[in-house]
Amino acid sequence: MGTMKKLTVKGVLILSFALACALLAFYLTIFKGETRVYPHLFYIPVILAGMWYGKKAIYVALFLTAVYILATYYSPTPISIDVLERSAILLVVAYIIGLVSEKKAQMDVELKETKDYLDEIIKSSADAIAVVDMEGIVRSWNKAAEGYMGYTAAEVIGESNTKFFADPEEADRIMERVLRDGELKNYRTIVLSKDKKPVHISMSAALLRNKNGEPIGTVRVSRDITKEVELEWKIEEERDNLNLIFENMVDGVYIVSRDYKVEFMNKVLIDEFGDQVGDICYAGFHNRDEPCPRCKNPEVLSGKTVRWEWHSRRKNKTYDLIETPLKDSDGTLLKLTIFRDITARKRIEEELRAAKERYRVIFEHTLTPLCVIEDDNTISFVNTEFEALSGYSREELVGKKWIDLIAEDDLEMVRNYCDERRKGGAAACCFFKLVSREGAIKYVNARIEPVPREKRCIASLLDITELKQQENKLRETCERLAELDKMKREFLSVAYHEMRSPLAPIIGYASMLEPKLADREKRYISIIEKSARELEERINHMLELARIDGKKVELTLRELAVRDVVEMVVRNLEPAAEAKKQGISTFIPQIAITADEQKLYTIFTNLISNAIRYTPEGGRIDIVVEDRGEDIRACVADTGPGIPAEHLPKIFERFYMIDTSLTRKSGGLGLGLSIVKEYVKLHGGRVWATSELGKGSKFFFTLPKREITKKE
Amino acid sequence: MKKRILIVEDAPYMREMLVEMLEEQGSDYEVVDIAVNGKEAVEKYKALKPDIVTMDLVMEVMDGIQAIEEIKKYDPTAMILAISALGAPEYRDAAMRAGADGYLWKPFTVKNLTDELTKLVVEHQTK
Repeated sequence: MGTMKKLTVKGVLILSFALACALLAFYLTIFKGETRVYPHLFYIPVILAGMWYGKKAIYVALFLTAVYILATYYSPTPISIDVLERSAILLVVAYIIGLVSEKKAQMDVELKETKDYLDEIIKSSADAIAVVDMEGIVRSWNKAAEGYMGYTAAEVIGESNTKFFADPEEADRIMERVLRDGELKNYRTIVLSKDKKPVHISMSAALLRNKNGEPIGTVRVSRDITKEVELEWKIEEERDNLNLIFENMVDGVYIVSRDYKVEFMNKVLIDEFGDQVGDICYAGFHNRDEPCPRCKNPEVLSGKTVRWEWHSRRKNKTYDLIETPLKDSDGTLLKLTIFRDITARKRIEEELRAAKERYRVIFEHTLTPLCVIEDDNTISFVNTEFEALSGYSREELVGKKWIDLIAEDDLEMVRNYCDERRKGGAAACCFFKLVSREGAIKYVNARIEPVPREKRCIASLLDITELKQQENKLRETCERLAELDKMKREFLSVAYHEMRSPLAPIIGYASMLEPKLADREKRYISIIEKSARELEERINHMLELARIDGKKVELTLRELAVRDVVEMVVRNLEPAAEAKKQGISTFIPQIAITADEQKLYTIFTNLISNAIRYTPEGGRIDIVVEDRGEDIRACVADTGPGIPAEHLPKIFERFYMIDTSLTRKSGGLGLGLSIVKEYVKLHGGRVWATSELGKGSKFFFTLPKREITKKE
Repeated sequence: MKKRILIVEDAPYMREMLVEMLEEQGSDYEVVDIAVNGKEAVEKYKALKPDIVTMDLVMEVMDGIQAIEEIKKYDPTAMILAISALGAPEYRDAAMRAGADGYLWKPFTVKNLTDELTKLVVEHQTK
C-alpha cells in the first residue's frame, strides 16, 4: 500500500516542473505555432511524479495528458491517433512507474521495519551480541553484553576484543576456528568483566561475509553461564563427596546395570570380594553362566526397592541388602545395592536368643514362684511354681492385676510398699498374704526387684505358709509354756506357804517341849526340830530359785565388810561342823565391798554348809578371801571325797545331783549351788570349782568390789 | 502389867499353839481373844482394844495385810506383829508398809516369838 507523501519541497518542485512543462507546451504550440507538441516534455515530469508519488502519479499524468491533448488541440496539428496513443502511453508509463516506485517504497519500509526489528532483538536480547571485524575490533555491542561485561557500547566499539578474554590468546583461537568452520557453537570460555571478574560464557559465532562472499567479520552471541558452571562444579563436588562417602562407608555399595555389568564397587566391597568393576556380576561373584535365581535385578529395575538378607556360604557371613533403582545421568536405570555385614549382629542375636532361652528355662523351672509385673501392675509372665502357688493357670494370670491376689488386709501395706519400692526406698523383701484361687491363704515373703532400665518388676515369692503355720504352732506352744511357767511359779509360791505352814507347829511345839523333857527325849525333840529346819531350808531354796527364774530378785546393795558376813555364817554353822568334828578356819583380810548382805550371807552359807555336809567327820574346811584390787576372790575348800571331773561343769546347774540313786548319800535337792551361781552372777561375779578325787574340792567365786553398773 | 494380845490366825493348830506359847509365859502376856480372819480381827480389835495383835497374813474373807491397814487406820498406835510362812521379802515389805510393827517368819520357836514381842514392846515404848 502506497504511502501518501506530504507535500514536500521535492513534490512542489516536481509539480512546478510538470506545470512548467505544460505551460511550455502551451507556449510553444499556441504562441510559437509549433506544429507538434513534444510529448517528451510530459514524460519527464510523469516519470518524476511516478517515482515520487507512486500510483498517484496517474493524476499528474492525467493532468499532463489533458494539457497535452488541449495543447495539441490548439496546435496546428490536428489531434490524431498518435496523440491519443501517446497520451495512453503516457498514462500507462505513469501508472507503471508509479506502481514500481510504490512497490519499491513499500519494500524499503519493510526492509527498515525488519532492520528495526532485528535491532530491537539485538538490543533487547538476553544474550550478548557483538560484532567483531576481521582485525578483532569490536563493531557492535548490545545491552546484554553491557550487562555482564560492565562495559558500555561506547567504551568498547573500536577497541580490540583481545583484552576481554582471561586468556589473551583466546581471541585468536576463536577467530581461527570461526574462519575454519564458518561457525562456532556453544564454545565455553572465560572473559573478564570491566571490574576484572571472570565470567563464564557460552559463545556461538558466525562469519559475516560481504556481497562477494569475502569474510568481513564475525557476529558473536554469548551467554553468561557462570551460575551454571558453578552449579556444575557443585554437582561435581557433591558427586565427589558422594563417592567419598561410598568409598569410606562401612556398608558396601555396589551398582550394577540392566545387563548385569558391575558399574561401581566401593572400597569395602572390593576389599571383601575383589575388584569386579566392569565384569558381569553373576560370573564375577558367583561363577555362574546366568543370573542368580534370587537376583533382584528385574524387580529393582522395574522400580521397586527390595530389602533382603543374604548369607554368603563362601564368606560365612550374613548381609542385610537394600537394593533400589538408581537413575543414571542419562536416565538409564541401574541397581544400587547397599551391603551391610550383619554377621556380628546375627551372632549377638543368636546369643541373645540363647541367653533368653536359658533364662526362660531357669525362670520356668526354678522352685521359686516368679512373676513379672508391668508398670500398670498387671502380670505379664508367670512360671509353673507361681501357677502352683496361686492355683490360677497361666492364661488366667496374664493380664490380671497382681494386687488382686493379695489378701484384703494386706492390700494397703503392699500398695505402699510397691510405691516406696519404685522410688527405691523400701527394703527388697515384703511379707504378705496371698489368696489362692481356692481361697486359701498363702503366707509369702516376696522380693520385688525392678528390672534395670525397664519399668517392670520381677517378684520372686517364697511360700512360707508352712513355716508360718509352724511358727503359729510354736507361738501357741510358747504361750502355753509361759502360761504353764506362770502357773508353776504361782503354784510354787502357794506350795511354799502351804509346805512351810505345817512346819510352824512342829518347830513351835518342839521348842515348847524341849525344856520340859529329860535328856534322852530332849535329843529326840532336837532331831525333830533339826529335820524340820532342814526341810524348811530346802523349801526356801526352791522358792528362791523360783523367784530368780521369775526375775523377782533384786539386789539391795550397801557397803559391808566381808569378814563380818563370813564370821556370822561360821557362827551359825559351827554347831553343825562341831557335830561332825570338823575344823573351820578362815583367812579373811578386812575388805569392804558393795554387795547385798543377805545374798552374800546365803552364798557363804550354802557353800560352807555344803562343805560340812559332804566332808567326812574330822575333815577340814578352809575359807580364804583374797583382795585382788578390782574384785575379791573367795574360796571354800574342803577335804571331802572330791567331785569327778565330768561333773564339775554341771554342779552349778539346777537340780543337778551327782548321785540320783536310792543309795545316795545325804544331800538336799542340789539347789544350793545354783542359788550361789545366780547370786554371784547378779553381783557381776563368776563362780567355779576345782576338785581332786579323794583329796577335796575348792569352790571359788569372785565379786566386784564396787557396785556394778547395772546391765539391762 | 500384862500385855493384852489379840491372836489372828486361821489355822486351828497355830491358834492353839500361839495361845499356849503366850500363856506359858504367864506374867507378861494375856490372850484376850482369837480372830479367824481379817474381818473378825478388825471387829474384835475395835471392841477389845488389845495392846498387841499377832496377825497371820494368809486368811479367808479378809487377808492380814488389809486387816493391818484397817486397824492402823482405826488406831495408829496399835501394835501389830505379822506372822506368816510367806518368806519372800516383798510380803514382809507389804506387811510393814501396811503398818505392821514386826514380822515373824513361820516356823518359829517360843524364843523367837517372845524375842520378837519384847522387841516390839520396847520399840513401841521408845517411840
